[in-house]
Amino acid sequence: MTLLTVSGLRKDFGGLRAISDLSFELRKGEILGLIGPNGAGKTTAFNLITGFIPATAGTALLEGQSILGLKPSAIVKRGIARTFQVVKPFRNLSVLENVTLAAFLNEPRRVRAEEKARATLERVQLSRKIESNAGDLTLGEQKYLEIARALATDAKILFLDEPMGGLNPTEVENACALVQRIRQDGTTVILVEHHMQAIMKISDRVVVLHHGVKIADGTPHDVVRNRDVIAAYLGRQAA
Amino acid sequence: MKHILAAVGVLILFVAPLLTNNSFYQHLMIMVLFWTLLGASWNLLGGFAGQVSFGHATFLGIGAYTTMLFYLSLNMSPWLGMIAGGVLGALVALPIGLICFRLRGPYFSLATLAVAEIVRLVALNWDQLTAGPVGLLITTLPPLSLGGHAVNWESKIPFYYIAAALMLFATVLTYAVSRSRFGAYLTAIREDIDSAEAVGIDTVGVRVSALVLSAFVVGLAGGFYSVYFRYIDPDAVFAISLSVEMVFIAVVGGLATTAGPVVGALVLVSIAEVFRERFAAGHLIFYGLFMMLVIRYLPEGIWGRLRFLLGLTR
Repeated sequence: MTLLTVSGLRKDFGGLRAISDLSFELRKGEILGLIGPNGAGKTTAFNLITGFIPATAGTALLEGQSILGLKPSAIVKRGIARTFQVVKPFRNLSVLENVTLAAFLNEPRRVRAEEKARATLERVQLSRKIESNAGDLTLGEQKYLEIARALATDAKILFLDEPMGGLNPTEVENACALVQRIRQDGTTVILVEHHMQAIMKISDRVVVLHHGVKIADGTPHDVVRNRDVIAAYLGRQAA
Repeated sequence: MKHILAAVGVLILFVAPLLTNNSFYQHLMIMVLFWTLLGASWNLLGGFAGQVSFGHATFLGIGAYTTMLFYLSLNMSPWLGMIAGGVLGALVALPIGLICFRLRGPYFSLATLAVAEIVRLVALNWDQLTAGPVGLLITTLPPLSLGGHAVNWESKIPFYYIAAALMLFATVLTYAVSRSRFGAYLTAIREDIDSAEAVGIDTVGVRVSALVLSAFVVGLAGGFYSVYFRYIDPDAVFAISLSVEMVFIAVVGGLATTAGPVVGALVLVSIAEVFRERFAAGHLIFYGLFMMLVIRYLPEGIWGRLRFLLGLTR
């Protein structure tokens, strides 16, 4: 079943077309990888769909309802939550408070919201840091914290922007396992990632962007053999 | 510990004016309460949500003029007028918020400053409504009797208790906000507005609500001002210096704390008076020096530091 349908999405920054005519579907329960060389427009695509920047043209339908043009907070209420490539925790607040703020969305009472935050932190294995200031966590922990925050909003779809960027191999391993667990628990995931091994391992499907244009869409197995994709990453000669 | 401090505070609040017959000291006590009220309401928006407004005098002026005009032209009791002043302040805050909160950080602060100047100039030039620079004057207050005793409006004491009630209201309101989901949302906005939006907080709506709430309390304070001084003009109630003073009180006391504005008002009003007595016009130098020292050495404010030293932080 299709959960999210993006079609004809376009973004112009002045004369620069950052995204042109992007269309793709996200099916319920899948892990979709969004990849592409630096500057391909991956984060811009995330920002457009999650409402952080306005699109020039196009539509995005979540379960048939248009979400483009809504404020980010309204889109979160509809069921799409995100993390940031450059982490943005509430630095001076505790880990628990960070996640509680997200849990408040569907749980107005503090005691219940905190309960839910604790349970969510358990899921991402951050329970032992619950009292720490978010700003004191390692980068890896801050990325997990953002995932916990997104999960605590009860989102149907998680948009993860480079959850493995800057992590060491063991941490990447754990992050892969976490994303797979999240999917098993019933949340659909779309992630931007540069870590190829990881994305090939966990994605059911991969969409490749290059200069704002979608150049491939398929299983990881097919995509890595696609000549356009190889050319985008390594140059024409390699392809 | 917190509860004991609060109980002692309320006790002092009740007996303080009875300790002296000197009406000047009573006046100073009223000013401390008045500034606490203003600092606390500014703190709701500026301290908790980190949205620094330099235009809160707008709501003070609107509260003062509403109370005055309703009394002079409609003969509405100034005590009701005070509440009307708060409501009107809140109503005016709504469009101001919707416009200014499209801007972030320093741009928001500058917008509030600009709006406040516009409102002051309108008040100064709209002669038919505000009497312009001539100002408005109440000669007598309507009689009121409590428990069979007529209240003596020539004494400072009744004004003291009215100011105390308003100040208690603002302090309890601040405490309630700090414990609520709404208060948590304000803190989230102060910490990172993008992340706040990303966890589903309607950052414009929450900021506008905080401004409206804050403006309501400042409007009440404006109403009190007009009744207490019985005379207002645009430069007395719409002045930028009033807006800035509210910022000082909240900052010196401690941003985003319940007791901060009390401490800020107590310290600043006392310092201003002590130095004014000794140095006449030169007193502002000391006031400025004191501000610099606080900002340099106590950026978290006097109460902000004290409550940390006393181990009162959560």
